[in-house]
Amino acid sequence: MRLSFDEQTEAFRAEFVAWLEANAPDPAETAERATSSAHVPAWARRWQQAMFDAGWLVPGNPPEYGGRDATVLEQFVHQQELHRRRIYPSFNPQGLGIIAPSILAFGTEDQKQRWARRILRAELTGALGMSEPDAGSDLAGLRTRAVRDGDRFVVNGQKVWTSGAHHADVILTFVRTDPDAPKHKGISCLLIPTDTPGVTRRPFGSLISADDTDFNEVFFDDAEVPAENLVGELDQGWRVATGSLGHERAMLWLNYSDTLDDLVRTGGDALRDHRLDDDPAVLDWFGSLAIDAEAIRLLGFRALGAARKGQEAAEQSILKLFGSEAVQRSTLRVLETLGPDGLDPTRRTLPPVPPRLATTTARAGSTATSAASPEPSPAARRRSSATSSPSASSAFPDDPGDGHDDPRRAVDHRQRGQASGPRRRGSPGPRAGRLLRLVRRQGGRRRRRAVRHRPHRRDGHERRRWPARAGPGLCPLHPDVARHRRGGPHPRGRV
Amino acid sequence: VDFELTDDQLELQRVVREVAERECTAALLRAVIDGTADDTSLWKTYVGLDWPSLVVPEDHGGMGFGAVELILVLEELGRVADPTPFVATTSQLLPLVRRCGDPDQRAALLGPLLTGGTGAAAFDADVTATRAAGGWTLQGTARAVLDGDRADELAVVARTDEGPAAFVIPAAGVTATRTPAFDPTLHVADVVVEGVTVDDGRALVSSGDHGIALARAEATAGLAAVVVGASQRSFELAIAHIRDRKQFGVPIGSFQALKHMAADVYVAIERARALCQFAGLAIAEGDDRAVLAASMAKAAAGDAQRIATQHGIQFFGGLGFTWENDLHLYVRRAKAGELLLGTSAEHRRQVATEVLAR
Repeated sequence: MRLSFDEQTEAFRAEFVAWLEANAPDPAETAERATSSAHVPAWARRWQQAMFDAGWLVPGNPPEYGGRDATVLEQFVHQQELHRRRIYPSFNPQGLGIIAPSILAFGTEDQKQRWARRILRAELTGALGMSEPDAGSDLAGLRTRAVRDGDRFVVNGQKVWTSGAHHADVILTFVRTDPDAPKHKGISCLLIPTDTPGVTRRPFGSLISADDTDFNEVFFDDAEVPAENLVGELDQGWRVATGSLGHERAMLWLNYSDTLDDLVRTGGDALRDHRLDDDPAVLDWFGSLAIDAEAIRLLGFRALGAARKGQEAAEQSILKLFGSEAVQRSTLRVLETLGPDGLDPTRRTLPPVPPRLATTTARAGSTATSAASPEPSPAARRRSSATSSPSASSAFPDDPGDGHDDPRRAVDHRQRGQASGPRRRGSPGPRAGRLLRLVRRQGGRRRRRAVRHRPHRRDGHERRRWPARAGPGLCPLHPDVARHRRGGPHPRGRV
Repeated sequence: VDFELTDDQLELQRVVREVAERECTAALLRAVIDGTADDTSLWKTYVGLDWPSLVVPEDHGGMGFGAVELILVLEELGRVADPTPFVATTSQLLPLVRRCGDPDQRAALLGPLLTGGTGAAAFDADVTATRAAGGWTLQGTARAVLDGDRADELAVVARTDEGPAAFVIPAAGVTATRTPAFDPTLHVADVVVEGVTVDDGRALVSSGDHGIALARAEATAGLAAVVVGASQRSFELAIAHIRDRKQFGVPIGSFQALKHMAADVYVAIERARALCQFAGLAIAEGDDRAVLAASMAKAAAGDAQRIATQHGIQFFGGLGFTWENDLHLYVRRAKAGELLLGTSAEHRRQVATEVLAR
C-alpha cells in the first residue's frame, strides 16, 4: 500500500503529458460537434489517428493497434490524464472501447486488420447491436435470426437502443444461429456493414429533445452477411458478448469519480453563494458527497489492483452500483440547493476548464486524486478558479469567458457526455447537454426525416416496444512466532 | 497508488482473524455479560502472543507496525466484539504517547504496554491543567471514556495556557465510574480529575495541537475499523441465514427484495472499509489528509453500521429479535462505536466544513 505511483509509471505519465501538450488539436479546427456516438467529425478522426499512430490511443495494445504494451497502471494514468483534461480519445466510444477490443480478442487476423485496426484509426465507426425489444437485461433471449446459406448468413430481426447506428459503418450484431440450443448456446456474433441491403436504421429522440438522436432501432430484412464476418466461433457468441461488456466497464468509474469531484467543487460554490455553508443539514449531505468522492477513488484503485492480478472481481459491480447512485444522489442535492436558480438549463455542474493545457496543473491536482497526486494549495486552487471563472459569485456560470474557445473542451465533450463546447443560439444549454450530449445540427433533423420514410415497418416487424431497461512471510502476530520469541522453536523449523 | 494489501498484511489479517474467532467466541461474550467470566484470560492470550506490541515502535521493543496494520487488526477485533482493553490501549493511549511524548516519556510509558499494561485516553475532556511545583495540576471531568474505569494509565487531553496537551495519569489518580452501556462487554466510564498533580515526566507538552490531532485521528480511524468489523459480522450472520432459511420452498436469499438489501449493505461496508484503510495509510505516510481521512472513515463506518444492523435484524425476521441469536452482540458493538469519538453526522459536518474551507 502506498499513496503514490512508482517512478516508471510517473515517467510514463510525464511522457504522455508532454505529447498531449504538443499535439492536442488546435482550437480553430474543433468547431464541428459530434451528434451521435458514431458520428466522428473530420478533425476528431485526425485526432484519433494521431493518437493511434503515436501509440497513445490504447496504450495497453501492441503498437500495431495503437498502443505500446503498457502495464495496467500505465493504462490507468493515461486515462487519468485524459480525464482530468476532459479529452476524449475517440468520439466513437463503442468502437474504441467495445467493438475493436472484441475483435482483437476473438477475431481472425484478417478481421483484426480489416475491422479493428480501421475502427481504432477512426477510418470506420462501429455500433453495438445487442438489445432487442424483448431482450434487454435478458440479453440471451435475443431473437434476431441468422441462417447460414453457403458462404453467407441471412439475417432477419430487430435491434433497439443501438447507439449511433445511423452514423456507424458497421454493427457488431449478436444473432441467434441455433434456435434449438439452450438460449446462451445458440448465439453468434456478426459484423454487419450498415450499407448491406436489408439493413434499416431508424434513430429516435431522447428525453432531452426529439432531435437528440443517438438511440436507434435497426431492422434486418433478409440482410446478407459474408460468412467471413463471423467473430469468434459459430454459436459461441455469448463469450464475445460477456467479454464485450467487460471492456465497457473496466475504467468506467473514472467518470463517476470526475463527476463527484466536479460536484464537490461546484456544489461547494453553490453553498457559499446561497449562504448555506453553515447549515448543518446541508453540511450533512455535502460531507457525504465529499466522502463518496474519496471512496469511489479508493474502490477504483482497489479494482485496479485486482485488474493487475488479472482478477475480475466484485469490485466492478460495486463501482457501478455505488458510483451511479452517488452521482445521482449528489446531483439531485446540488440541484435542490439552487432553488429557482436551478431552473436555468444553462447551469451545469462541470466547472470551466482552464483555457490552456499549461494551466491545468491546479485543476489536475484538484480533480485527480487525491490519492494519487499532491493537492495544490488552497490558494492556488482559488487562483485558478478565479482566473477561469470571472463571475465567481454565480454557482455554475455559463459565461462566455469560461473557456468556450478551448479546443480541449471540444475534445472532451463527447466522451464525458457533457456539453462544454460552444453553444448555438437557441439550443439547449450545456446542462442539458451534460445529460445526453445534445448538440443540435440541422442535418440531424433532415436525416431523421429521411430515415422515417424508409419502409421499416413490414410484416413481421413489431411496432417499437419499450422494453423495461433493467436497469508470506509468517505473520508476526502468529501464535507460533510469539512462542518462538519467548524461546520456543522457530515456526519454520529454523533458528 | 497501490491500494492493495500486501501479502504480509493479508497474512496478518488472516492470523488475527483465526485467533480472534477461536478465542473470542459468542459464548465468551455471553459469559462476560452474565458475569460468569471476564476478559482476563483472553487479554492474557493476546499479551502472550505479543499483540499489544504491534504498533509500539521498534526502538521501544515493539514490532513497529503502522496505522494500516493497526486498522486491519482492529477490524478483526471489532468483528468478534472483542471485550479486552486492546482497542483503547493501542489506538487511543498509544498514539498520544507516541506522537506527543519526548523519547524519555515514550520509553517510560510504552515499555509497560509490552507486558500487558493497559491504557485509555480522554480526547474530549473538560479538564484544565495549570503549572505547579514539579509539574502540573489537573482539574475537571471527562465523559464516556473507553476503558476509563479499568486502564492502568489514562491520558487526558487538557487545556493549558500554552494550548492543549496530554497528561498521563495512573489509574489511582482519577475517580472513574463505569456507566451503563447497551453494549455490556464494553467499558465506558465517566472520569473526575480533582486537583491531581502530574509530574513533568507524564506531561506530554512538546508536540502541540498537531500531535494531538493526529493521535485523535488514529483513535478515530481505529474505532471506525471496529465498527466496520462489527458491521461485517452482522452482515455475515445475516447472509448465512438468508442462504439457509427456506420459505415458499426456496432460500429467502433468492428473493430480489433481500438481494438488493444485501447489496446495499455490502457496498456500504466496502466503502467504509476502504476509507478506514485510506485513513490508516494517510496516517502512516504522514499525509496531510490524515485528519480528514479519519473523519471520512468514521462517518462512513457510521453509515455502514446503520444499514448493516438495520437490515441485519430485518433479514432474520422474528429471529433477529431474540436474545439467543448472536446477532445482537455485534449490533451492540457497532452501534456503541458509532456513538463514541464523534457520531457519523458530526464527522460528516466536519468533513464538509474542511472541504469547503479548502
